[in-house]
Amino acid sequence: MIEIIIYTLILAGTFFILLAAIGLIRFNDLYSRLHAGTKAPSFGIFLLVLGVSIYFNSPVVYIKGLFIVLFVYLTSPLSAHAIIKSYQDVTKKNKFPDEA
Amino acid sequence: MDENTTTVILIVTFAMLLAALVMAFIRLMRGPTVNDRIAAMDLIAIIVMAFILVYSILINNSIYFDIPIIISLISFIGTVAVSTYLKHRYD
Repeated sequence: MIEIIIYTLILAGTFFILLAAIGLIRFNDLYSRLHAGTKAPSFGIFLLVLGVSIYFNSPVVYIKGLFIVLFVYLTSPLSAHAIIKSYQDVTKKNKFPDEA
Repeated sequence: MDENTTTVILIVTFAMLLAALVMAFIRLMRGPTVNDRIAAMDLIAIIVMAFILVYSILINNSIYFDIPIIISLISFIGTVAVSTYLKHRYD
């Protein structure tokens, strides 16, 4: 029973990461690509870490998994913000061509 | 579940992750702007973390759990460094 939960969580997390990659390659705008490419992978990595932590089932692994999820959820929106901020600042000054 | 079923599930997971890695790499190669390439690089770091997590289940060894922590920190530092460099390039 517990194995069914574990492998369902792993498959769901991998599916979310695959969806992020499909969105990254199919959308036709930088804003849409960032929307697909930075929000879905954090949820996918959360499900994946949850499944692997339940698989090993020891306190050290739970604490390390908590750290992974914490770091990913803290840094993913910040990196998306930094990317889009640099894009807007550079295109607003119009010194940087769009096809660099 | 028996041994064969779990192995098949893990191989399917590896195949999905490999497809995601190829798609992100195509975006990294032909992204129109530099910012697209940075976003693809960010996604590639997350895909590598997922690879290591699934591989730790495949070989049944939990010592690989340290690597995704370091990868998440280093990928964030790289993304912010390249974005800040692009922002202050023409100042």
